[in-house]
Amino acid sequence: MDNITLAQGIVKAAALLGAGMCMGMGALGPGVGEGFVAGKACEGIARSPENASLITRTMLVGQAVSESTGIYSLVIALLLIFST
Amino acid sequence: MTKKKSPILKIFIFFIIIETALVFVSSGFNKQLQIGFDDGKFVFRNIQSHYDLQEKITEEFQIDEYYRQNGETPKIYGSNKTYEFFKNIFGKTTAIGTFQLLRMLLIVDILLLFIALLIKKKLLKRPSQPQILFEMVYTALEQFVTETLGKEKVNFTPYIVTLFLFIWVSNMIGMIPIPGFMEPTRNLNVPLGLGILAVSIVHITAIKVKGVWGHLKNYVNPVKNPLFLLDIIGEISKVVSISFRLFGNILGGAIIITVVSSLVSYVVLPVGLILFFGLFVGTIQAFVFTMLALTYIGVEISE
Repeated sequence: MDNITLAQGIVKAAALLGAGMCMGMGALGPGVGEGFVAGKACEGIARSPENASLITRTMLVGQAVSESTGIYSLVIALLLIFST
Repeated sequence: MTKKKSPILKIFIFFIIIETALVFVSSGFNKQLQIGFDDGKFVFRNIQSHYDLQEKITEEFQIDEYYRQNGETPKIYGSNKTYEFFKNIFGKTTAIGTFQLLRMLLIVDILLLFIALLIKKKLLKRPSQPQILFEMVYTALEQFVTETLGKEKVNFTPYIVTLFLFIWVSNMIGMIPIPGFMEPTRNLNVPLGLGILAVSIVHITAIKVKGVWGHLKNYVNPVKNPLFLLDIIGEISKVVSISFRLFGNILGGAIIITVVSSLVSYVVLPVGLILFFGLFVGTIQAFVFTMLALTYIGVEISE
């Protein structure tokens, strides 16, 4: 962080702001999706408790898949932070 | 309700007290406490240490970039001769990262081979304890394969079990507190290679089952399938999604562990963080990668 020009400083600040906004908006969708999946799995287990292990497995895989959009935004945020 | 505290809780409280006392003794977060022997005398003193979070993260996750900025001689964990060999091949700019990645991959491979030989040597009718463990893993994954692909395609089980064990050991090996140890899956090249391998196996299996033209006519027949370009893009995005998911989870977990541990100055909380991001997320992601590879194969075969 020694001598940087004004233009470089503006670019860096914009990248950091963009990274924060990217993470914040990218976490919205996966949060809603994972909560929805967990709620539906709870309903399923309450209706048929003998299938609990199968439902839990499917729920975990589904949550991990719906989490991937959040992970993409994390990767973009890391790129913005570390590569500018 | 018993009034006895469990032994784990006792150990936990003991470590909290010890660590809090050490933080107060060292009096300040930018100082380092040195305990040990120096010049033959027992030493217990503060050292003023230069600590910068940004620098630490760069050193941990972009090691080539760090040494390019600082220009110090790199600290190499491993054989110097091998490093010189890699430096001749890859050039000076990316040699350290490549060397560390290949070293960790070799360690994982040797560990898996060692376990396999050890188990194979003592295969018994009445299984010993480690044999029971691995038979459990194998049987569970074999059941998934039978459910997804059907009884006659059960010969995919060795590939699926190998994929699961390799990714799981790769994710777990970062928890071992030895300097220079890191998860190989933290580098994008490893998940990308595994993803390309998985999708190639999907297509090779489909060609084996349906024949070359039977498989290709889904993609290159504009009359039957006008949006065939989108299908090709979908195949590429399969690789991207399956590999970036593993990579992002492991890298994000490692960065969160580093940042939060340094914020609480390494008191107690890192244990919980490592248990969550190392053990739980690592196991779930290895399982998800395996299940998705299996599902891709199942979708192509079932039609």
